[in-house]
Amino acid sequence: MSETAHEAPAKQQPFMQRHHFLLRRLHSLTGVMPIGVFLINHLLTNSSVVWGMIDPKAGKTGHGGVATFQHEVDFIHSLPYLIIIEIFGLWLPIAFHSVLGVYYATTGRANNARYPFQDNWRYTLQRVSGYVGVLFIFYHVATLRWGWTFLVPGGTRWSAEYAASTLAQTLRGHASGLTLAGVGVSLFYMAGVSLLVFHLANGLWTAAITWGLTVSRQAQRRWGYACAGLGAALMAMAWSAVIGFATLDPVRARLVEESLRSAHRAEPALTAAPDAAPRRP
Amino acid sequence: MPTATPNAPTSSRSRTVRFAIVRCDGPGKPERTELFDVPVEPGANIISCLQWIAANPVTIEGVRTTPPTWDSGCLEEVCGSCTMNINGRVRQACSALIDAVSPSTTPPGPGGATITLEPMRKFPVVRDLCVDRARFFRNLERIKAWVPVDGTYSLGAGPTESPDHQATRYALSTCMTCGCCLEACPQFLREDKPEAWDTSFVGAAVISQAVLFNDHPTGATLKPQRLDVLSGPGGVNDCGNSQNCVKVCPKEIPLTESIGAAGRQVTVHAVKKFFSGR
Amino acid sequence: MNGSKHRVIVVGGGLAGLAASVRIAEAGLPVDIFSIVPVKRSHSVCAQGGINACNEVARQQGYSEYEHFDESIYGGDFLAHQPPVYEMAHWAPKIIDLLDRMGVPFNRTNEGQRDLRLFGGSLYKRTHFAGATTGQQVLYALDEQTRRYAAEGKVTKYEHWEFLWPIIADDGACRGIVAQDLRTMQIRAFRADAVVMATGGNGLIFGQSTNSVMCTGGAASRCYQAGAKYANGEFIQVHPTAIPGADKLRLMSESARGEGGRVWVPAIKGPSGGWTRHPDPARDPRQIPASERYYFLEERYPKYGNIVPRDIATREIFNICMEGLGVAGGNMVYLDLTHLGREYIERKLLGIIEIYRKFVGEDPAEVPMKIFPGVHYTMGGLWTTYTPKPDLKGMTLGAPNSMMCSVPGLYAFGEVNYQYHGANRLGANALLSCIFDGLFCGLGVANAVRDAKRLASDEPQALYDRAAEQENAKQRRLVEGKGDQNPYQIAREMGAEMTAASTVVKSGPRLEQALAKIAELRDRAARISLADTGMWTNQNLSFARATADMLTLADAILRGGLERRESRGSHYRTDFPERNDAEFLATTVAQCNPDGTSRIAFEPVPKGIVEPRKRTYGKKDDAPASKPADAPKAPALALAAT
Repeated sequence: MSETAHEAPAKQQPFMQRHHFLLRRLHSLTGVMPIGVFLINHLLTNSSVVWGMIDPKAGKTGHGGVATFQHEVDFIHSLPYLIIIEIFGLWLPIAFHSVLGVYYATTGRANNARYPFQDNWRYTLQRVSGYVGVLFIFYHVATLRWGWTFLVPGGTRWSAEYAASTLAQTLRGHASGLTLAGVGVSLFYMAGVSLLVFHLANGLWTAAITWGLTVSRQAQRRWGYACAGLGAALMAMAWSAVIGFATLDPVRARLVEESLRSAHRAEPALTAAPDAAPRRP
Repeated sequence: MPTATPNAPTSSRSRTVRFAIVRCDGPGKPERTELFDVPVEPGANIISCLQWIAANPVTIEGVRTTPPTWDSGCLEEVCGSCTMNINGRVRQACSALIDAVSPSTTPPGPGGATITLEPMRKFPVVRDLCVDRARFFRNLERIKAWVPVDGTYSLGAGPTESPDHQATRYALSTCMTCGCCLEACPQFLREDKPEAWDTSFVGAAVISQAVLFNDHPTGATLKPQRLDVLSGPGGVNDCGNSQNCVKVCPKEIPLTESIGAAGRQVTVHAVKKFFSGR
Repeated sequence: MNGSKHRVIVVGGGLAGLAASVRIAEAGLPVDIFSIVPVKRSHSVCAQGGINACNEVARQQGYSEYEHFDESIYGGDFLAHQPPVYEMAHWAPKIIDLLDRMGVPFNRTNEGQRDLRLFGGSLYKRTHFAGATTGQQVLYALDEQTRRYAAEGKVTKYEHWEFLWPIIADDGACRGIVAQDLRTMQIRAFRADAVVMATGGNGLIFGQSTNSVMCTGGAASRCYQAGAKYANGEFIQVHPTAIPGADKLRLMSESARGEGGRVWVPAIKGPSGGWTRHPDPARDPRQIPASERYYFLEERYPKYGNIVPRDIATREIFNICMEGLGVAGGNMVYLDLTHLGREYIERKLLGIIEIYRKFVGEDPAEVPMKIFPGVHYTMGGLWTTYTPKPDLKGMTLGAPNSMMCSVPGLYAFGEVNYQYHGANRLGANALLSCIFDGLFCGLGVANAVRDAKRLASDEPQALYDRAAEQENAKQRRLVEGKGDQNPYQIAREMGAEMTAASTVVKSGPRLEQALAKIAELRDRAARISLADTGMWTNQNLSFARATADMLTLADAILRGGLERRESRGSHYRTDFPERNDAEFLATTVAQCNPDGTSRIAFEPVPKGIVEPRKRTYGKKDDAPASKPADAPKAPALALAAT
């Protein structure tokens, strides 16, 4: 359209203003895809430490949760070009979403004391959960993926081969039991994942308004129920994962993993007959 | 002619209410709070009490002060002038009945009822309870909040319209530019520099007006320009969905529906622009 | 920006001011609008009911623009000049179309046509409406167009500026104004080749009214003091249905009756048919059986019932209360909507219903509303002239004197103009007259300015400096005043006195008494001391200044009422209860004496195309209702529309 003489020429505007719409919408989009989708997957995987226990196939190994979780981790680590997928599919989108999110959050000023409405609390919590979430994700990735063990009480290094036991040990602080620092880590995980789940569920709700999917009040309410339902399901997974690992005995889990490993070395599949495959060096 | 005051209901009682008024002598001047005790009759509202104080500007300490300054107009909650924070919440002073705002019958003093009046915080204070809402009107200009008719000569009737469509437009059109939605919005921040207004968040009311005019057949001819503004800095994307706006709107305008509608229009507008190359 | 050396100033940003601004700007002249409040907050927002215009449905039932004209003349008790009213009635449909195009959300029928409602003084549905906030919606439409012109640089808004004085050059023509920025308190003179006053009514003179707080009539009074004539000041419309309040009287629109609302009081019907006070007048109205409800308007005016014109309804309600028949024996009657059903009420009347809910705390869909008359509208105003068409059927379009005051170059549009409404305004004619003035007469202003031989830019700067200094000096006197008088107290006493002496019922002795009181207040006003003498947003100063100006106008209102020894429309004298066309079919023209008192002359109303007739609205005596009611029929001459 022609009649935009009013506005300053695009070149003179700062980058953020020039690409305001694109950045805003990319921020919204990355939150849903890939980050949201990944989070759902990730929680599904990690809660397998609990839901795996009811898997009859996995149950044979002594602790179905540990086995299923290991299986899931093995699958992920079997993906080709995993590091490329991680960098471009996860770390960069998360960094982008985080940096912009923190910047956008600073453009607002919470006023819950004066306007203590439920929606307004969610507005504030969305931002708080973002801040905490950034810290949590960084800690989570740095300690478990990048191996910054100096940040882990007890110095446990997470291993994809012994996924459940090392994770449990990370959360608990020690292989043999729950240390005080371990309680702290576990609580931080509890808070972190809970806030991230909230952030996703509430973000999906607001994204629908931002993109104009839900316009009427009824539509917003209905989509709100859907998001709340999804949030509740994810929350259940998140909690079961954290509680599952925080209460998992690393020693017992290690035994299960060792037996899996030996079985695996024998047969690629869990269900295959033992003693057939050659040992790996 | 007898005065047009209804016979006092039998439950009537006159009482004294304490007012804490945040005062400021002008832009850049320090704020102070002054206390006044006001005799209140049933049916009194904030405006009638302010009028009483203006005529008797003496604080509870017995100090004579200047009459407080406030904006008011229709006193029927249709002009939007007398918007202020009453007990911490933004609303119109005219429709704030004392008995509703301060139902306590405790006499003033420690533990007694106090009504706090302070100016809107999202606009520069002119004096006391008066603020300058020029930014609000500037934003209406930015989104071209008008129907571009061919002039004021008789050119026949406007487009016909279904009653439902009229009801939708009417609801949005009752916006009186009072600013409650902006005051309560965590994303709408005070900005005293006019040069920064064009990139600061426009707020719910302005978004809603854009939707209103986009929804009129003739008004829609300016829709692309309005959506350019709404998709730019300070546009609808800056909304944080706290939805305070719709809860404090005295006219119960479905502001969040307007925001959703604007979001949809802006999305479609961006896709169209992307593919049309303009 | 417009390179024109012409400039037009419009004072007031309500319907009339904005319509004029838009029209004059459209004609290519730069316009400066001065308004005390942001124009979008002007008092026009308070108009509720609607805007009258002949329409196709009414036309096919026998209505016409001519009927609209005749109703308005009859409603105004033949005091209005007929050519302007004739022209206005014929422009009305065009104005509705224009507003429709501008996007005013008029209520719609199922087919999508503009819906219509019944209003006082007519038997035809001829009132267009947007919910119950028509004034707000229409004002917003014009505000939007003004914003558009402001964005294009054709109109400049001076909001939060108060008009102080018209600047009159040595040839007697108005060539500018002095105005004050209400924030910085800076006083400045502005040049203009024409000044349009569109400053509304003066309800605040009566203390409590349905008007907004800025409706002091101060601007009109200043023009009057500067030499402009003031006409028909004694004609003040007291609206029959207002909600009493502590700070103001809130209007309960006539549309409540137009949509079927019924006015009644609890009473007992005697054996002879007369009504007497109910023994338990305070009881819950919902418990009162139909036989104990006195629908006095319907009984006394079988033809028009609850939609008799305002002056009549007001007087009847007032008298009922004087007879002791008011609700609970007090000054209240019921306005009952409960029989209409919640859905209907909320669809048609939501805006006003909410006002009642918010300000009274009761739901009119459940409980009858308690209402009483309140000062509402100023039929009188600055005296203006116009050019009639030779056959008296309308005014000459574009005539440079269209609604020009007795001071050349000074115009008065809208409520501050005394034309159109005569002795009583019909409901929903006010919005019409305001917009009509702006659009029709705006063209005249543009022509006058373009054809002017002498321009403001030719005037010496000294003229403007002197005018500004004169206002500065007045302000200094006020600020430095060391008297013992409080302006709020003076205003309160003035309001009480004016309401008691010069509203529904007046008498010679009472008006004389009021004149003495106003004189006393005028003396006291000279001894005002301000509680605030600062020079930043000093509302105390503005109010004190307006108080003195209100007193000047109050004198004209009272003296006009005193000298008009007859009853006509809203002006009812107990000592002269009949209309007297022989002496008083005439405009009251007040001129201001240097001491602030007024001198009154009467100027005969020019002969028009309808002859004065008795104005009864088919009133029936309050006798036993034995004979059947008059069959409703068309209220006016059955002349074909032109």
